[in-house]
Amino acid sequence: MQKLRKIGLVVAILTSLLLSACAVPGNAPSEQGSVAANSGEKVKIRWWHIWAADGPEGTNWQVLADEYMAEHPNVEVEITIITGDPYKDKLATNMQAGDPPDLFQTWGGGVLWQYADAGLVQDLTDVLAQDEWGDSFLPGPMAVYRHNGKVYGVPWRFGMVGIWYNKALFEQAGIAEIPQTWSDFLTAVKQLKDAGITPIALGEKDKWTGHFWWSYLAVRDAGQAGFAAAQDRTGSFSDPAFVNAGEQLQQLIDMEPFQAGYLEQSYGDQQVVMAKEEAAMELMGQWAFGANSTVAEDNLDNYIEHTGWFPFPMVDGGAGQATDAFGGGDGFAIGINAPPETIDFVKFLTSKEHQAAMAEAGLAVLPVVKGVESSVKEPVMQVVLQHFSEAEYLQLYLDQYLPPAVGLAVNDFVQELFAGTKNAQEVADAIEDVAQTELSQ
Amino acid sequence: MQSVSTSISRLAGARRTTQARVRREQAVTIVLFLLPAAILYSLLVIYPVFQAAHNGFYKWNGLGPMTNFVGLDNYVRILGDDIFHKAVWHNLVFILLSLVTQLPLALFCAILVGRRLRGRTFFRMVYFLPFVLSEVVTGLIWSFIYHPRGGLLNWVLSLLFPTWEPPSWLGTPNLLVLICIFVVINWKYFGYHMILYVAGLQNIPAEIEEAAQIDGASGWQVIRQIVLPLLGPTIRLTIYLAVLGSIQLFDLVWVMTQGGPANASNTMATYMYQFGFLRTQLGYGSSIAVIMFVICFSFSLIYQRRVMRQDFGD
Amino acid sequence: MTAQRFSISMLLRYVIAILIALVVLIPLVMTVFGGLKTTGDLLSNPIRWPADHLHWENYDGILQSSSFWVQMRNSLFIMLITATGVVLLGSMPAFIFARINFPGRELCFNFFTLGLLFPLAVAILPLYISLRQMGLLDSHWGIILPQIAFGLPGTILILRGFFLALPQEIEDAAYIDGCTTFGMFRHVAIPLMRPALAAVFVLAMVGSWNAFFLPLLVLNREPLWTLPLGIMRFQGQWGTDWARILAFVSLTLIPTIIFYFFAERHIVTGLTAGAVKG
Repeated sequence: MQKLRKIGLVVAILTSLLLSACAVPGNAPSEQGSVAANSGEKVKIRWWHIWAADGPEGTNWQVLADEYMAEHPNVEVEITIITGDPYKDKLATNMQAGDPPDLFQTWGGGVLWQYADAGLVQDLTDVLAQDEWGDSFLPGPMAVYRHNGKVYGVPWRFGMVGIWYNKALFEQAGIAEIPQTWSDFLTAVKQLKDAGITPIALGEKDKWTGHFWWSYLAVRDAGQAGFAAAQDRTGSFSDPAFVNAGEQLQQLIDMEPFQAGYLEQSYGDQQVVMAKEEAAMELMGQWAFGANSTVAEDNLDNYIEHTGWFPFPMVDGGAGQATDAFGGGDGFAIGINAPPETIDFVKFLTSKEHQAAMAEAGLAVLPVVKGVESSVKEPVMQVVLQHFSEAEYLQLYLDQYLPPAVGLAVNDFVQELFAGTKNAQEVADAIEDVAQTELSQ
Repeated sequence: MQSVSTSISRLAGARRTTQARVRREQAVTIVLFLLPAAILYSLLVIYPVFQAAHNGFYKWNGLGPMTNFVGLDNYVRILGDDIFHKAVWHNLVFILLSLVTQLPLALFCAILVGRRLRGRTFFRMVYFLPFVLSEVVTGLIWSFIYHPRGGLLNWVLSLLFPTWEPPSWLGTPNLLVLICIFVVINWKYFGYHMILYVAGLQNIPAEIEEAAQIDGASGWQVIRQIVLPLLGPTIRLTIYLAVLGSIQLFDLVWVMTQGGPANASNTMATYMYQFGFLRTQLGYGSSIAVIMFVICFSFSLIYQRRVMRQDFGD
Repeated sequence: MTAQRFSISMLLRYVIAILIALVVLIPLVMTVFGGLKTTGDLLSNPIRWPADHLHWENYDGILQSSSFWVQMRNSLFIMLITATGVVLLGSMPAFIFARINFPGRELCFNFFTLGLLFPLAVAILPLYISLRQMGLLDSHWGIILPQIAFGLPGTILILRGFFLALPQEIEDAAYIDGCTTFGMFRHVAIPLMRPALAAVFVLAMVGSWNAFFLPLLVLNREPLWTLPLGIMRFQGQWGTDWARILAFVSLTLIPTIIFYFFAERHIVTGLTAGAVKG
């Protein structure tokens, strides 16, 4: 009977659990934080980011948070680190449950704007106007946080996609000049193939890796106006410019320029192929140099010595400019229930002093605050920086720029172009099909 | 045996009770036995599931209130989507492969490392180990085996057939990628079924087998005529679990191929993750879940009525 | 003669058993061994001997870190409570559904199997909101209770089958001896069901040990994290330190193997001769 009594106890606990669950009303977002406006009161800033605690970024953030807490004894910064894809899952669930973190990593674009439309992140337009805080940032990166005339985030580093190439392998294939146009580029690919060199490294399992190729061609073919028209629905993603982009990519795919088995390999494989100098080129963001260096190991010196960068080639008859850039970066957004101290903390993190230090340490590369450009040390990164600063139009990665429903459709359908299950026209039509249902307001 | 006979004899001393008291006592037991499970299960499974199913009638990105009621629109879109049709077909392939290879293998292993094999504990543990390994790591290790550059499989094949150029195992958008994934599924989950068979085999008294053997029955005859029929309920149970598991197959496929290349390895569950969650179309994702539920429910109904009924002896 | 035939067939059984064991073990050996390489080496030559030397520091570094041990403790706590809860709460309804007739029994049973038919990942958002209302976020109970609840359908289904296999004679004898239903459950059914209960315990244990998604959503404060969340520390934005992940995973396999050993002894302690009349 003693056992029965124990079971009874369990039932009682569970019942009280059930009752207490029913007693709490609704699922309104919690009100914590917003009351503690006047300083002196204890406040907690819950900060979510994606950099492992023992990595350079993670260490840097912890140091800065500790420094801030020492200066502001009433503020506690509680850092939660969720790396990789799980970050997006966890953030999405918290957002959907109406419980955003106070400060969090964002890539801007359509995902952030969805949160803004749902009233989950703070509108920073007014605070950016005060004390010329907004003017301290470079204008290009700021654009990806602007939506319907309001600003919902600030950048802390930025960059662009371009072609990383191996000078030694180019020389071996007898390529004397950097390709300026798409047809030059295809010729170079042919030369590399003829010399028995794998022209391009690609890890297309991850999809975003291959979307760079289609998107950059689309940036060249459609230009700023074409993109804007497709997005605001005065134009279309099945316009000739976007079909052209697919056909140009098809030309490249038909030459079989990628390493064997690239459809089943991930970006990690792509890094290794480049770092071990098994392929001559990759189309990748500004981080590629640092990322590849971490896996180069005994080939590190060769990799650094041989690596060069050039901007994506221009296409004949394209509506875009050769200086138009495709890229993105990292930024901060602030949850709607965050304590006011959070803004001051973000100002602290993005101050010129800290930006310069982070750029010098290779963390804030490329930097986003005016006047710290000279802190970038690596020569090849200065080349990227120079092109980046010349860009008048910067198109954010499509899988960030467009709402996820459309952006990820681009990634999925472009993979079908690589796999040979859809042609250029079908890819463009399929993207347009999704855009029609998702972009119409 | 000892514990059984002592407990029975201990209870033999208990006072006999009246019929009415037995019934009342039984009713109390039923309620007390079911209540804790029922409360927890209703609160944390049924209620959330019901909520999720409700979302399926909305076009909803998961943020803010659900206002855009679209009726059966999501269902019409799913049922008209070629990628979903393919995913259903892939699930069928996985179900079929599980039934014809995975379960027989598990049963074979359970019998193989049965009673009289020395070191059976060791073998059983080894066979069970893959199930202990997490899906993510399993997928990673196997992608090293299938890897086009220096993978184990291609290395072995190059020793056997030096001139043959093997295909890209996980990168070919046809049946090949499904089969390669299935090999991993088989490797990982056969231990799960084996452990159930091993537990089931314990219910077959050793002396029945021994008696049959003394009568001159061969090992195969003993298995066919005694072990298999007595193991029937467990086998029917594992078939049920294997089919439901194959319908909901997700993690391994996602880790190894993300449903690709070009949707060639999408299952209904990866389709749901890709088109419902990643694209933040929660209403759409919920409708997919409901369709999967309907499929599982229909199967469950038919199977329980037709096949498992004999085990429940009503 | 019989002895000879016996030993040849026995030998054959060993050969097959060892062959299967080898196939099963190769990927596992690769896991342990991969933890002794560097990530670059691992990705460029997955199966080759390390390019320079064995990198024991991968294992050493993990064993030295205090967070590993904290996560180990959390994982063990959650795993043991979950598996115990699943067996406790699951065996009672399974027993009722198998051995006691009452009106609405089938309906009740089918209600419990519904959970097997719905992809539970979809229900994660409503579940998260429920957990928040119950104040279970950022606590281990916010993982344990849902895990038990999710584990119930499968457990009840499996155990019901085993309870059904219990010979009617034993039940009759117990009731004739004046046993109550609870006594029948506690003193007759449970001891006889040890193999099945142990099997279910092991399955629940493994599920809890490897669970990632629910702990990810429920836990924010790092001191509460479990081992699968700990793996995230080896993942950078652009690259993953696979070698250290493999070392980490190899180490986390050890506790499950130990627990499996304990459970295995119960799984094979079935009915002994004479307990059941055929």
